[in-house]
Amino acid sequence: MDLTTELLHFLPAIITSLAGLAAMMFAAYQTDMRTVWAVSTGAVLLAFALSVRDLLGDEGVLFSGMVAYGGSAAFGSMVVLLGTFFTFLIARDYLEKIRHHYGEVYALMLFATTGMIVLASSTDLVSTFVGLETMSICLYVLAGLVKEEKRSIEAALKYFLLGAFSTGFFLYGIALLYGASGSTSLAVIGAVTQKGILYWAGVALLLTGFFFKISAVPFHMWTPDVYQGAPTPVTAYMATAAKTSAFVALILILARGLQGSVAGWAPVFEIIAMATMVVGNLIALAQHNIKRMLAYSSIAHAGYALVGLTAGTFAGYDGVLFYLFAYTLMNIGAFAVLGYYETSGNREIVNLEHVAGLGFQKPLMAVFLSVFLFSLAGMPPFAGFAGKYLVFAAAIEQGYLWLALIGVLTSAAAAFYYIRVMVYLYFREPEMDITLGEAPKLAMAAVALLAFLTLYFGVNPGSIVNLF
Amino acid sequence: METLLNLTIYLPLIGLLGILLVRSNETLVKWVSLVTTLATFALSVPLMLNFDAANGHQVQFLTEGGRFVFGLDIRYLVGLDGLSLLLFMLTTFMGPIVVLSAWDSVHKHAAGFFAMLMLLQTGSLGVFAALDAVLFYVFFELSLIPMYFLIGIWGGEGRIAATVKFFVYTLVGSLIMLVALIYVGYDAGVAVNEGVFTSDLRIWTGDAYAIPLAQQTALFLAFALAFCIKVPLFPFHTWLPFAHTEAPTAGSVVLAAIMLKMGTYGLIRFCLPMFPNASEAFAPMMATLAVIGIMYGALVAMVQKDVKKLVAYSSVSHLGFVVLGIFAMNVTAVQGAVIQNINHGLSTGALFLLVGMIYDRRHTRLIADFGGIASVMPKFAVLFMIATFSSIGLPGLNGFVGEFLILMGSFQSTVLSNIWFAVLGTTGVILAAVYMLWMVQRVFFGEVTNEENQVLTDLDTREVGLLLPVMILIVWIGIYPTLFTGYSESHIHHTLERSKAKGEQVAAAARTQTNPAWVATLYGLNDDLASK
Amino acid sequence: MLDSASLLPLIIALPLAGFLINGLVGLLSETYRSRKTLIGTIGTTAAFIPFLLSVWVFLGMTPDSDPIRYHFLNWISAGDFVSDIAWRADQISILWMLFVTGIGSLIHLYSMGYMKEDEGYWKFFAYLNLFVFAMLNLVMGDNLLLLFLGWEGVGVCSYLLIGFWYQDILKAEAAKKAFVYNRIGDFAFLIAMFLLFRHVGSIQFDAILAGLGNIPADTAFWIGLLMFIGATGKSAQIPLFVWLPDAMAGPTPVSALIHAATMVTSGIYLVSRMSGLYALTPDAMLIVAVIGALTALVAATIALTQTDIKRVLAYSTVSQLGYMFLALGSGAYIAAIFHVITHAFFKACLFLGSGSVIHAMHHVEHELDHHGKHVRFDPQDMRNMGGLKAHMPSTYWTFLLATVAIAGIPPLAGFFSKDEILAMVFNAGATVSAIYYVLFAMALATAFLTAFYMFRLTYGTFHGAFKLPKRHPEAAGSEKYLHESPWTMTAPLWILGILSVIGGFMGFPDFVVQTFGNPDAHANWLHGWLIPNVSEAELVLAKPIKWGILLGSVLIASVAVWLANRTYGQDKTAETDATLQTRFGGAYQLWADKYRVDEVYEATVADPVLKLSDKVLAVFDLKVVDGLVNAVAGLTRFTGSLLRYVQTGNVSGYAFYLVAGVLIVVGLILF
Repeated sequence: MDLTTELLHFLPAIITSLAGLAAMMFAAYQTDMRTVWAVSTGAVLLAFALSVRDLLGDEGVLFSGMVAYGGSAAFGSMVVLLGTFFTFLIARDYLEKIRHHYGEVYALMLFATTGMIVLASSTDLVSTFVGLETMSICLYVLAGLVKEEKRSIEAALKYFLLGAFSTGFFLYGIALLYGASGSTSLAVIGAVTQKGILYWAGVALLLTGFFFKISAVPFHMWTPDVYQGAPTPVTAYMATAAKTSAFVALILILARGLQGSVAGWAPVFEIIAMATMVVGNLIALAQHNIKRMLAYSSIAHAGYALVGLTAGTFAGYDGVLFYLFAYTLMNIGAFAVLGYYETSGNREIVNLEHVAGLGFQKPLMAVFLSVFLFSLAGMPPFAGFAGKYLVFAAAIEQGYLWLALIGVLTSAAAAFYYIRVMVYLYFREPEMDITLGEAPKLAMAAVALLAFLTLYFGVNPGSIVNLF
Repeated sequence: METLLNLTIYLPLIGLLGILLVRSNETLVKWVSLVTTLATFALSVPLMLNFDAANGHQVQFLTEGGRFVFGLDIRYLVGLDGLSLLLFMLTTFMGPIVVLSAWDSVHKHAAGFFAMLMLLQTGSLGVFAALDAVLFYVFFELSLIPMYFLIGIWGGEGRIAATVKFFVYTLVGSLIMLVALIYVGYDAGVAVNEGVFTSDLRIWTGDAYAIPLAQQTALFLAFALAFCIKVPLFPFHTWLPFAHTEAPTAGSVVLAAIMLKMGTYGLIRFCLPMFPNASEAFAPMMATLAVIGIMYGALVAMVQKDVKKLVAYSSVSHLGFVVLGIFAMNVTAVQGAVIQNINHGLSTGALFLLVGMIYDRRHTRLIADFGGIASVMPKFAVLFMIATFSSIGLPGLNGFVGEFLILMGSFQSTVLSNIWFAVLGTTGVILAAVYMLWMVQRVFFGEVTNEENQVLTDLDTREVGLLLPVMILIVWIGIYPTLFTGYSESHIHHTLERSKAKGEQVAAAARTQTNPAWVATLYGLNDDLASK
Repeated sequence: MLDSASLLPLIIALPLAGFLINGLVGLLSETYRSRKTLIGTIGTTAAFIPFLLSVWVFLGMTPDSDPIRYHFLNWISAGDFVSDIAWRADQISILWMLFVTGIGSLIHLYSMGYMKEDEGYWKFFAYLNLFVFAMLNLVMGDNLLLLFLGWEGVGVCSYLLIGFWYQDILKAEAAKKAFVYNRIGDFAFLIAMFLLFRHVGSIQFDAILAGLGNIPADTAFWIGLLMFIGATGKSAQIPLFVWLPDAMAGPTPVSALIHAATMVTSGIYLVSRMSGLYALTPDAMLIVAVIGALTALVAATIALTQTDIKRVLAYSTVSQLGYMFLALGSGAYIAAIFHVITHAFFKACLFLGSGSVIHAMHHVEHELDHHGKHVRFDPQDMRNMGGLKAHMPSTYWTFLLATVAIAGIPPLAGFFSKDEILAMVFNAGATVSAIYYVLFAMALATAFLTAFYMFRLTYGTFHGAFKLPKRHPEAAGSEKYLHESPWTMTAPLWILGILSVIGGFMGFPDFVVQTFGNPDAHANWLHGWLIPNVSEAELVLAKPIKWGILLGSVLIASVAVWLANRTYGQDKTAETDATLQTRFGGAYQLWADKYRVDEVYEATVADPVLKLSDKVLAVFDLKVVDGLVNAVAGLTRFTGSLLRYVQTGNVSGYAFYLVAGVLIVVGLILF
């Protein structure tokens, strides 16, 4: 196809990157950050619309097989943009409240998003790498956004160091695979017949790179610190959009490049998945800081998604895609409400004790939070249940009964720490006199919309799954 | 009719929206919920009247929706058959009563309270009407959420520990069941559904689909565990006393009358027809636990100091009877179990309602705080007596019918093939008399010792009014149970017949191939061969 | 000519109606409760009309007429188990129907006077009607399950009526005790029903009779034994008899109706119903007989020592019931039923008489209060009485008649029935087993004791001087307050008194007639009435032996009366009791302590079970069963809190795990 059509297909990424540049320009001269925000949000929304159109369209590859369009690639970009969009909705008032409302934030996020789109649709390891780095570098900066906050800076530094470290392995993996196949294109790698040590070592290192990005155990160490240290909207952004893009990229690589050697890598996924579910959930049980608890929960959720990948079937991949979608909705939702609590109380609200009795002070917000938490816990009729169901089903179909069993047992343990939040919200009397201010209209709307979607796609998951 | 059924199931949700609209006005909230539940009941009556009992083994008023997810045969399937009809009706029947019971006792966040009741109503109705395993599971779990809040927000002192234990404990069971459920879905899909995952219960329990012995064992255990926790069967019962005691009256009533029944219902709905061999092989074990439950629950109930806890433990004992009946696996006993489900709902429900009424007045449930109540509250005493006699299985009242059929059936049971289950179970009738009448004596008889009890007011019209329907049913079922057992008769007959046939077919198939040693011993394949 | 079958539902329904009217209206309306005459009339009519109807039904029957049946509805049916609500009137049940409704209505009438002052009047009559309803179901039920409904129903009524004055916790306690002991019996009854159904496949009486052939001998024994255990509960036999004396806590009319005349004879009814079954198992019958004889003797000895007039009568009832079971055990169903009827007459009369006495003593107490003398005494203790005969003649004479009747002095009712029993027991000794001779001896001893303690009671109560003033000086001159009871109470007394005189002639021994007149005459109407319907043992004794037994029993009774007269006659109750106490020493103490049965049960069953539940099970439940659950949860959380320490916070540590991870992954993939 000719370049224009290719560019049309790639439009979402182009838009976000241009918007990023625009945002930076504005930020330099424009004092009213809200315009910057408006422009960026508009751009993201446009890109989102385009990605949806792309999703409904046909599939194929662009730029001589560097990136794919349509299908799961489009779905990945769509979810990423959705995440970005909602992040923007909650970010504005939050950042204003903590007086860090810089245009650069949006610029960085837009660049990161561009990277994510590339990552989530790349069919060549080089473009994968480019996407990954574009995303990561922006995230390193965003993590340290609040420079007054010591923890924030420290977390950012850790993130950067470890990230760089893992990128090394990742790059090395690409090199080895290139050596084994003579190309970085997934199509070629998928065609490799004699798989020597070179090939397998390459695969292993490549995977570790991803395991780091999706914070699977034991590559997860950075996650709690970074998630807790970063401003909540950024955390939400990293936990959803970033993770989604990494997963989608992984799916593309597995499906297009490594489908032939499932038997080789499935065991790794099985073990990593188990470890991730167990460790993530168990440590989350012991948390009192809600944000940190959600950080560990996001680790655990990566574990559930990995269960779907372990199946190594397209049913499994689809399951994971839906899981990511559901997870994006409910997780941003949860973080959004947390962000509201953090910034709108007469004192900082971060621990369980703080939210005691708040359920009746601002009922609507609390109800929404409960919806998100029940969904995260995998309770029907919310999207989280449908997601869990699909990934477990895929695993069980492939005979991974024990994996599924550990999955459900850990989610039972998980239910405990999710419902404990509600124990404090509703069942306990307030311990310190906390009064919540009005919720920002925008955030409120975002949360309400997210809650609705969480319920809608829980009752009717088919409406989206059937698109893959 | 189909539309009517769906309307009945989801009307409470509409009511819920209504409640949220008028949430600030408590009186309106209460009226909306009352009208909703009354309407729900009214809508459900035609279902019962139009139900063709003679064909109770066939699904009626069936709604068949499309697939939820592409590539998986998970459908929206709701309908009623002989097994579910009675429990479905019980649920709609208890609705208004529960609402009325909370009329004057719930003021804190009234809107939330009644909203949760409505949600619970839909959840429970869905459980009994669902004919798709996944749909069943969804409703099964959905009903946990409102109960979690009902206990947690409107419960007593130890409510938090109680509700968290209730939630997590039951969740563990059902999640393990979920795994088994998915497995069966694929297995059935491969076997009889062109390889497409299916959770259509008609296919699962149909004749075409049979599960080999080894898998049956594991799957049976997984399903049974979930249901036994829900029932609850000894030794999985420990969440119940806490949940019951801490729950607000309405919560305890729904818990006793409806939610516990989901467990026994599940055992009959899933275990008997799908895992006939395993059910038979494990019947002695289940019966043993049931009998232990009967005696153990009664003995522990005897020494409780809190009336509500006493009733809670009596539930453990009563549901022991039901489980015993189910695993006797003959029509008499299983029919007894089915009707006993209803009876326990009514009698224990009534007891919880009554305990709630005295609690509203005295804010204590300790037996020691009462004494001589009968002389101050005659109406209360009379109604309590009726409920008590129903609960201790007095002939002429409902409780007797179920217990008698269960015991008679399990005594004759060829599956249990040991009269001692029935004999030991029968001791329950002695123990029940002991603990209930002893409690009654300490609460109602003697001089009024405690001054605070002197000023107690007798039941008002609302309270009598909400108890009256229950009392009427208690007598009605006691005198003319055939009317009710008639609905489930053919279904139970059919189920047991078919599962027996399926079981033999599976066993026969198993004999033709080599089995693991434990399978051979568990299902007695060797000695059958020897006998040949 | 009215169709009898269509009357049966009416006979059942009327008492129920009476219960509903008095019960519901009374519960709802304060004003109705004060309309005592109305309430009483409704209650009494609700029992009396069924009596007339029963008579009508009875007149339509002949010894060999088929049972009259009325099928009301299909009650319980599940699988192959079916049971209807259907009533029958046959030669056995009609007798019970007659005296249940007959004596029932008399006692209703009596209660109108006795309960006049009680504010629970309406409740009392409601309960009485409910009892009659339940009792009629018991005897008219066409299958074991409906019989069981009545069986439990009368249990409930007795529970409600014993605890009628529930403000007194002891009375409530007695009520519970009665119910629980009955439940123990019912447990055995249920098992018996299950066994029977297993072999016969039905619980309908005719079907059972037809299917007796399918029952193996040993099973028949077990069924028989279990049913008898059920009977020991209801009819207060060893080992379950202890509840009946306590049951005297109820109002006296209740004691007369339920705990003497009707309910306690259900056990005899059940066994006679099942006579065909018992015919299959001599062992079971022997057990029945032995238990009966033992109970008769044990209770009689206890009665000897009691001073509460109602308790004396209670133990006497237990003893007489033992007599009836002895008869059943000897295959003398007719004799047993005969004794049931005569006993119903004179024991009801005695209880009502004692009620009349207690009524009077209460009145004395009130009057004394009225005159500012607050004397507290037990109105049932015969040591406060004496000399009542002058003040309440009707009560005295009827009481005396009944006493003579129970003592077995010819030609009063008790004599004939008792004599027939003795003859049949001796007969069993001759035909079945020598053990019956021992039982025969015990029966004679009991007969002696019965006559003795009954006259002790009569003398102590009615003869000599009024002792209350002696014991309570401030009650001096209180005898002027003693007065006869109203007609509503004395009329029933006279009717029953007369019945206890003539009642015996329904079973006039054939051989007596045969000796003096036609050698094959049949004077014994009851025998002729029942013989086609029970598997009665054949009486093989020679005429001389029969005469010997007859004269012997008369002699024994007379001696006992003469002895009682000599010792207790001249107002010497206390002294004679004292001499007896010294004479028999330990034995007497044992009787006075009622053989310490209650204490033994307390120590061996009740306390251990309670302790076990309280100290072991309840703790086990919380600490172990629930403890395990909590342990699992706790362990999970603990592991979590340990794992978090891996999160040290320093980068090098993180990097270490990262590398470790890489190595693991590489290792897993490569090897």
